[in-house]
Amino acid sequence: MSSPVWIITKKELNAFFDSLAAYILIIAFLGFSGFFTWISGSDIFLRKEADLAVFFSVSKWTLFFFIPAITMRMMAEENKTGTIELLLTRAITARQIVLGKFLACVLLIAITLAFTLSYYITVSSIGNIDHGATLCGYLGLLLLSAGYISIGLFASSITNNQIIAFLLALLIGVFFHFIFDMMSYGSSGFIGQLLSSLSASRHFDSMSRGVVDTKDLLFFGSLCLAALYLAELFVTKRTK
Amino acid sequence: MLKSKYNIILIVLLAFVALNYFSKYLFVRLDLTENNAFTLSKATKEILKSLDENIEVIAYFSEGLPVDIAKSREELDNLLNEYANLSKGKLTYRFINPNESAATEEEANKEGIRPVMINVREKDQAKQQKAYLGAVIKVGDAKDVVPVIQPGIAMEYAFTTGIKKLVGKNKPKVGFVQGHGEATLQDLAQAYQELSILYQVNSSYVEYDTVDLSIYKTLVMIKPNDSIPPDHLARLDQYLANGGNLVLAYNQVEANIQYGMATPLNTGIKQWLSTKGLEVEDALVRDTRCGQVNVTQQQGFFSFSTPVQFPYLPLIQKFSGHPLTKGLEQVMLEFASPINFTGNPDYEFTPILYTSEKSSRENVPLQFNVQRNWTEADFTEKNIAVGGVLKAKAGGSIIVITDGDFAINGKEQRRQSEDNISLLVNSIDYLSDDTGLIDLRTKSVETRPIEELTDSKRNTIKYLNFLLPIGLVVVYGIFRSNRSRQIRMRRMEERY
Repeated sequence: MSSPVWIITKKELNAFFDSLAAYILIIAFLGFSGFFTWISGSDIFLRKEADLAVFFSVSKWTLFFFIPAITMRMMAEENKTGTIELLLTRAITARQIVLGKFLACVLLIAITLAFTLSYYITVSSIGNIDHGATLCGYLGLLLLSAGYISIGLFASSITNNQIIAFLLALLIGVFFHFIFDMMSYGSSGFIGQLLSSLSASRHFDSMSRGVVDTKDLLFFGSLCLAALYLAELFVTKRTK
Repeated sequence: MLKSKYNIILIVLLAFVALNYFSKYLFVRLDLTENNAFTLSKATKEILKSLDENIEVIAYFSEGLPVDIAKSREELDNLLNEYANLSKGKLTYRFINPNESAATEEEANKEGIRPVMINVREKDQAKQQKAYLGAVIKVGDAKDVVPVIQPGIAMEYAFTTGIKKLVGKNKPKVGFVQGHGEATLQDLAQAYQELSILYQVNSSYVEYDTVDLSIYKTLVMIKPNDSIPPDHLARLDQYLANGGNLVLAYNQVEANIQYGMATPLNTGIKQWLSTKGLEVEDALVRDTRCGQVNVTQQQGFFSFSTPVQFPYLPLIQKFSGHPLTKGLEQVMLEFASPINFTGNPDYEFTPILYTSEKSSRENVPLQFNVQRNWTEADFTEKNIAVGGVLKAKAGGSIIVITDGDFAINGKEQRRQSEDNISLLVNSIDYLSDDTGLIDLRTKSVETRPIEELTDSKRNTIKYLNFLLPIGLVVVYGIFRSNRSRQIRMRRMEERY
C-alpha cells in the first residue's frame, strides 16, 4: 500500500514530466552545465585535471536559479486554484503534502543529475578520477539542492503568485548562496563565524573536495527541516 | 493567531542559527578521497601512539581575526584535538591570545613567534592588524617552533616533524662518505638542514676498518673527484650485501665551463657499476629544455652579461613516477651522463630521471662553445635516462644520479632550487625511512592529469558530452508524449 506522501510524489513527478516547462528547464540546466564543463571557460580540457570540479562549481550556480523555477508553482498554484483545501479535506495532512512535493523535487534533481553521469564516465576513461571525491561532490549537489528546494517550497507556500514565489525563493537563496559568505570575509569574531556557518556555498565547497563533515550534514539537514516546517505551518494556517 | 505564527517562525529561525553556530563543536568527518588527503597519515598516527614523553603544544593565535584566517585556528584546534586523542593524554595543547596583554605578547616573542600583518575590515574601514599565528612544541626543556601555521596538509607535516624532531631518540644514521674529494657536509648546507630533522648525519670514512659501516642506514657519496681504491669499493660492496643502501651522485665527465672542455673522470666508479650491469657512458646529454649561463661580451669600453641557453644543463621535468620523485617538478643537472642497464640477473634497475623529448648525447672528450647556435638537428634523441635505482635482489639499493653537483651549495653557499634538494633528501628518505614520513612529506592533493588526446578525439568528447544528455532528455520527452497520446486515444476508443 502506498503512503500518501509517495502518492503525492508520484503525481507531482508525472505532472512535471508531462509539462513542456520541465523539459525546457532540464535542457537549460544540462546546456549551461555542459557548455561550461566541456566547451567554454575553464573547461576540463583547459584545466587538464581528471575531476568534475568545473561541473560542480557551474552546477552550484545553475541549480541556484533552476530550483526556484521548479518549486515556484508547487504550492502557489494549489493556493491559487484552491486545490490545497480540496487536498486537505481528504485524509491527507499538510505535512504529507509538503513532504510529497519536497520528495518529488529532490527526485527530479536526482534524475537531472543522473543525465550528467556521462561526464563522470568520460572523465574516468581519460584520466584517473578520484571516485570517492566525485561521489561526495554529487552528494553535496543533492544536499544543496534539497536545501534550496525547501526554501522554494516555503516561498511558494506563502503566496498565490508564482512569480512572487520565484523571486522570494531567489531572494532568500541569495543570502545562503553568497551574501553570508561575502559578509563573513570582512568580519571577525562571533558575527563572522556565525555568518560563515550559515553559508550554503561554504558547506557545499567543503563537501565537493571529498570530505563529509557532520557540520555540513547538520547544516543542510537543519535547513531542510526548518524551511519545510515553516512551509507546513503556512499550509496549515492558510486552510484554517 | 498571527502573533503566534510569527513567534513560531522566530523560534525556528533562532534554533536553526544556533544549531549551526554550535555545530563547529561537533566534529566527525569522513574522508572519501582516494589518497585520504584530509585524514591523518599513518606516520603521524604511529608517532603519536608510541610517545613516551609528555608533549605540550602552545599555540599563540590571535583572536578576532577575519573568518578566512580564523579558519586556520579552527583547523589547528581540530588537528591538535585529534593528536591529543591519539596520544592517549601524552600530548596536551592550549591556545594563548598574544594580543590579550603585553605580557602574553612578550611571551610569544620570546618563544620565537613573530607577528604577521593582515588586513581587517572594521567599521567599514580597512586597517592592518598585527596577528600571531604560530605554535611551540615543547618536550622537557627542548622545543621546536612553528612560526606561521598554514592551513591544510602543511599543518600536519609541520607538527609531526616537529614532534619527531624532539622525541626521536634513535634517529637513523646517515653517513656522508669522505676521503676521495667528495662534497663535505658544509658544502651541502641546504640538504643537511633538511636531513638533520629525521637523521643523525655524520661524515663517514670507508677506508678505515675500524669504522663500522653497518650502523648507517644509508651512505651518501656526493661528487667524488679522486680515484677510489678497490678495497674501499669492496667495503662498500660488503656494506650493500648486508642490506646497506647508497645514494651516489657523481660526475662521470669533468667539465670546465671556462675552458670549454669536457673529459672523462676516472674515479673507478664506472667500472664498479659496470660489474652490477649499469653502464654510465663517457658522454654528456644535451637537452633543449635547459638552464642558462651568463656570457660576458665586451663592446668598446663596456662589458655586458647576457644569459644564453646552455643545453649541457638539462632541466629534468620527466620523472618515472617512482615514490622518490613524487611531487618534484623540475630538477636542474649540470653536465649529466647517460645511464643504461646492460643486464645483470642479480639486480633490477628502474630509471627515475629522463631528459626531454628533444635531447641527444655527445661523447667525450669534447670541446664546447657556450655561444654555439643550436639547431633541431642537434637534438635527435628523446628521454635519455640520467638517474635511477639499482636494487640488488639480495641486499640493499643504490640510487645513481650522473651529476655530482645538483645539490651542492659549495663554499660560496649558492642556493639550489627546492626540487634539487628534495631529490637528494627524498632519495635518502626512500632508502632509510621506515616510519612513512616520506609519504607525509610528499602527501598533497594529487594532481590527476587527463590523457593527451588528438584534436579530433577531444572535439568528439566535448560535443558528445555536451549534446548526449540533452539528446536523451529530448528523446525521452518525445517518447513520453507519444505514449500519453496513445493512452488518450485508447481511452477515447474504449469510451466510444
